[in-house]
Amino acid sequence: MKRAGRYARWAAIVLVIFGSLFPFLWMLSVSLKRQVDIFGGPSLPKQPTLSNYTALFTQYHFGAYLVNSILIVGASVLASLLIGTPAAYALARFKLPGGLNSQALFAALLVRMVPPILLVVPFYIILAKFGLLNTRLGLILLYTGINTSFVIWIMQSFLAEIPTDIEDAALVDGDSRLSALRRIILPLASSGLAATAIFAVITTYNDFLIALTMTSTPAAQTVPVGISTLIGKIQVEWGPMAAGGIIGALPILIFAFIVQRHFVRGMTLGAVK
Amino acid sequence: MTSGSGPSMKWSRRSVLKGAGLGVAAAAAAPLLAACGSSGGSGGSSSSGSSKKIIIGSFQDPAMAPFRDKYVKQYQQETGTAVQYSETSYDAWYQACKSDGLNKTGAYDIYVMDDNWVPEFAAGGIVQNLDKLGLKVNPDILSKGLDQGYWPPKEGARLKAFKNDTPALYSLVIIDDVNLLYYDTRHFSSPPETWDDIYTAMKKKAHPPQLYGWSARGVKGNPVVQTYLPLLNSYGGNFVNDDWSPGFAGPEGVAALERLLTFLPYMSPSTPEFDTDQETSLMLQGKCMALTEYTGTAVTEIDNPSDSKVVGKINMATTPKQVKNGPAIGTFICSIASGSPNPEGAVKFLEWFTSDRIQTQFAREGGNAAVTKTALNDPQAAQKYRWLPAIAQSVQLSTPKPRTPDEPKFEDILGTQLNLALVQALQQKGGYEQIAQKYLNVAKGQMQAVLEQNKNIYF
Amino acid sequence: MAVTTAPVRPSEPGRRPDAGRRAGLDRALPWLLLLPAAITLGLVSIYPIYAGVHASLTTYLYGRPVAGAGLKNYTDTWHDPVFWQAMEVTLKFVLIAVTVETVLGLGLALLVANVVRGARWIRMSILAPMTVAPVVVGVIWRLIYESETGFVNPLFTSLGLGAPNVLSHEGSAFFGLVLVDVWEWTPLLFLICLAGLQSIPQEPLEAAAVDGAGPVRLFFNHTLPLLLPVLAVGVVLRLIDAVGTFDQIFVLTRGGPGTATQLISIYAYNTAFNFTDYGHGAAMLIALLAFALLLVLVALSLMRRAAKRVAQ
Repeated sequence: MKRAGRYARWAAIVLVIFGSLFPFLWMLSVSLKRQVDIFGGPSLPKQPTLSNYTALFTQYHFGAYLVNSILIVGASVLASLLIGTPAAYALARFKLPGGLNSQALFAALLVRMVPPILLVVPFYIILAKFGLLNTRLGLILLYTGINTSFVIWIMQSFLAEIPTDIEDAALVDGDSRLSALRRIILPLASSGLAATAIFAVITTYNDFLIALTMTSTPAAQTVPVGISTLIGKIQVEWGPMAAGGIIGALPILIFAFIVQRHFVRGMTLGAVK
Repeated sequence: MTSGSGPSMKWSRRSVLKGAGLGVAAAAAAPLLAACGSSGGSGGSSSSGSSKKIIIGSFQDPAMAPFRDKYVKQYQQETGTAVQYSETSYDAWYQACKSDGLNKTGAYDIYVMDDNWVPEFAAGGIVQNLDKLGLKVNPDILSKGLDQGYWPPKEGARLKAFKNDTPALYSLVIIDDVNLLYYDTRHFSSPPETWDDIYTAMKKKAHPPQLYGWSARGVKGNPVVQTYLPLLNSYGGNFVNDDWSPGFAGPEGVAALERLLTFLPYMSPSTPEFDTDQETSLMLQGKCMALTEYTGTAVTEIDNPSDSKVVGKINMATTPKQVKNGPAIGTFICSIASGSPNPEGAVKFLEWFTSDRIQTQFAREGGNAAVTKTALNDPQAAQKYRWLPAIAQSVQLSTPKPRTPDEPKFEDILGTQLNLALVQALQQKGGYEQIAQKYLNVAKGQMQAVLEQNKNIYF
Repeated sequence: MAVTTAPVRPSEPGRRPDAGRRAGLDRALPWLLLLPAAITLGLVSIYPIYAGVHASLTTYLYGRPVAGAGLKNYTDTWHDPVFWQAMEVTLKFVLIAVTVETVLGLGLALLVANVVRGARWIRMSILAPMTVAPVVVGVIWRLIYESETGFVNPLFTSLGLGAPNVLSHEGSAFFGLVLVDVWEWTPLLFLICLAGLQSIPQEPLEAAAVDGAGPVRLFFNHTLPLLLPVLAVGVVLRLIDAVGTFDQIFVLTRGGPGTATQLISIYAYNTAFNFTDYGHGAAMLIALLAFALLLVLVALSLMRRAAKRVAQ
């Protein structure tokens, strides 16, 4: 009886994993097919080809998209950590007048609360105003802002957990607040920083709507936007589209796997406290 | 295409210099825009006569490939003028050139456009008056194609504010894209003349799924509208009448849609999700008797053995008539940006590309949809590329889309209901006239509501 | 896009430093630390929301503001049947998708919670759909659903069933979209439930089990009440995100067939960008924000009531 239950459980788990992963495998198989086989019904690639992948880089600017994505994600995540962490520290350690702590936290959260589609029209207007449409810098600024709200929110709860005694001891030893922050607190909060950074990297790399609206050429377009350009007005480039999906998914899947402990922590943080 | 980064870098630099006054939609920007309008193009860039480079932006489309890969380079070689070319997806390019033009940022000299953008771009001052820039139009350009570039339009309904203006050329056609009838010569010995002939033939011969009688784009919005327009026009209906009232819900429009719906039993059941690639793939696999489609299918696919199993077996003709022929026209058309840094150079390039010599070359090398009469009827070209005379004939028989900035909205309204009519008719397998009437009426009502909301623009 | 939050609670004030040579700097320090973040957030949240409201009160012609509109954009939107259709589709989509995801996520968490062997691999496999870009998710499912190139039609025909042509019918396209969302976001609720389950103290459960409580009663009397606060956070996060769903639809159906999958986000996007009507687009989006906040409030109060009832 108990054994039967265990088999049933494992059968269910295998089924779930299959359901979860099969769509990826299907996309992989399409990405290796020639155009003529794609319309020929479901099958494994008859003559596997990498031509869809080479087409991405020779015809469809995926080299540029990848470079843009990496630069934009790197710069905006870094900037938001630099801006957001001190603010989180201030909110965690100092009691500000007028209940400002919780108000500030709420304001930080507001950006994440609002569906991104709401922000797009105003963002567009702002970037147009400063001539930053279709530039990497424009996207970096927007993502920095969005990520900052998230950094404040998460880091505040991490930093609040670190006992004040350690810091006070350092202060008594003659450290300034800032050097105590740098020397004592940040190392203790490093796993929080990692979780925050990873989460920000993934959401920024995956963003589509903002990048779609603010960019128009491979000079600033990111990988998800690049994928969408393969669905043209006239025709869908099925093979390259599948290959683009793989290129879009693979770095993040690998990244999430490598840093999975932090990733899981970032995703669930707060929810369970 | 490797020059992607050029224009946008320039764009941002210029715009930053001009500061905050140039908001697309920022309320405060309107007066400032007017103030710096005239200085738009000249800011900061060094002018060195005709050898100054020109920057062309476009959306991706297979039909643009020869223009991009060959003619841009050829122009550089012949004149020594550098040409930068950048392209992106259709939607992104529409946004990009619109905001470039509204802001007069001058990131581009020439916009390659879809012809239904002309009203918005001309009325909104996004592009320049080509007559005023002194562009000399090649008189051999087919008039119906050329007319797409005029604002206000030479015929049809006009917006109130432009009622009494003299039409001026704002945009110059570079590829005469128009609906053609494609028919499989194994099933039709000569081109079917009317829609009824096609129906009779498919009733006799079609046996889906091995052989479909017809294939069509059914996706909501623009695609299904492109399927419906040649029928609507040929039955004598209008998308909009001369007083802007919707013209598709009358007996002509209903009969036209009913005709399309009666094809459905002989069409793929997934037609409502078909766009061009699924639609034409049936024909390329030899699985469909006929369809209507723009010229790109002929130029790039039909005789290309890597795409097509029907090389040499498909012929092209003007779309069938009922009371008249009614192909829809959807040209590739070029305008000069309101903030173009080099409008003189842009004019020269457009004159060069539409000249007799280049157009004949354009038709002869690859059978492209050239815009001049002689090029399309050139014997040497026509012998090799059998669709060219059909293009020439179809352009002159074509009917334009409504000339209003709200055209995309109208297309969305009509296209949503047409798509629903297809879905409904596939399920119901009958009662086509009622279905046609019902959905066209809904579209009519929604379109009237839009006209009513914006009545001060229209009436 | 998934969001992780911590519950709102007052921050723990640090111990007041002794008044001394650092007092002046210390008094200014929190403000100095907050300033850059305040500026950044002001630029990306407060100003955009202000600008959005302003645009919704403006009339645009050919993409340029020409006049104040008063509330005209809102009244037009109120009388626009397509807007209400989109509202209905959005509501249906959000409620069905989030409900299914919550139940499945909880079930999966219970299924996996006590598994030790291969836990890491199982967890990562289940999480995979959530990590990739929604655009990629749209691409994946388009490759599956598409009638000529996909996997679903041949699968059904080989089973002797008719080809469903998922994207050609209103009902199947809608549920096809729900399935996509369920595939993508059940992992988030799974993850949150799993973390919640692991943080529940085991002693009371064991004690109750000793008292002879069956697994079902254990779950409803002990596990679920303790899990509810965690679940509430997850559900609220999903509600907010689901209301704004855009990328997958943009790639998969563009809102069709008809208006079967046209969420407000798609319709508002088209209005603002394809029809160059920022005013009406902004008005719709402000309405959507109100709608999202309403959903969140309703969800929270339902959860709170449920928690109270279970607690009694």
